[in-house]
Amino acid sequence: MLTLPELGLYFSFLLFLVGLAGVMFRKNILFMMLSVEILLNAANLAFVSASRITGTIDGQVVMFFVMAVAACEAAVGLALIIALYRTKASIEADDLKALRG
Amino acid sequence: MQMDLNFIAFVMMGLAATILSGVMITRRWPVSAAMVLIAVMTLLAGMFGLLEAHFAAVAQIIVYAGAIMVVFVFVMMLLNLPPEELRFGGITWGEMVLIGVGILAAVFLGTQVGQGLLTQGLESMGVAPGQTPAHARSLYFAPGENVKNVASTMFVDYLWAFELVSFLILAAVIGSIVIAKKRSADNANAA
Repeated sequence: MLTLPELGLYFSFLLFLVGLAGVMFRKNILFMMLSVEILLNAANLAFVSASRITGTIDGQVVMFFVMAVAACEAAVGLALIIALYRTKASIEADDLKALRG
Repeated sequence: MQMDLNFIAFVMMGLAATILSGVMITRRWPVSAAMVLIAVMTLLAGMFGLLEAHFAAVAQIIVYAGAIMVVFVFVMMLLNLPPEELRFGGITWGEMVLIGVGILAAVFLGTQVGQGLLTQGLESMGVAPGQTPAHARSLYFAPGENVKNVASTMFVDYLWAFELVSFLILAAVIGSIVIAKKRSADNANAA
């Protein structure tokens, strides 16, 4: 039978797939950022599970660093969304063609 | 019996978190997506608690479900967006096949190569598969010692990383203010 942390690794894989689908299929930048939060949470779950499997605490410490970087990413990303909405009046990824992306 | 209850609770919370994140990425209104995401993060906090990472569970609720999601909801209210119609955004069959191959490769690497590396690493520590190292368990997973161990590791082994992250947060806050600030040129255009 699987142990809890091994199950946690499988669940983190499933969550990562769902978040990846959100980033790929949604066109709204706000939803893409929310999906990125799911991706980061899946990585956090994998870190905590690995910490439990190996019996070391380092995974939990790295999880806090991921959390801090996620906060930075949300702050800068949302500021970018506000600036884009002010200039383009839209937050659809398809409307942002200034760089021919 | 205790172990079985933990197992059932963990499986249910994991399945609920996966299903709810699927619900989240198909919402039309941004605010309802944010509310569903808060539920996902709370479920993940419960999973962290069952993995005996108690401080991580509390920080998940306070920082993620509290602070970060409040910032998201603020911005949604500020923009006052209409609901978005859902479209299946232009993925061709070839790309679908490539995505499937990628998922299969990830499963193979994770279950075969990753499992092998993990077992190898644990065996080098003298641990049978599925077991936690006894000395590490007594050191790091003693009841009520989680916060102490996280703090002693973070402020001894990861002190430089901690300080760098604090500078990163400072830079991100200043940068976001500069980016989102109304420029005087914008004001001239609006007027």
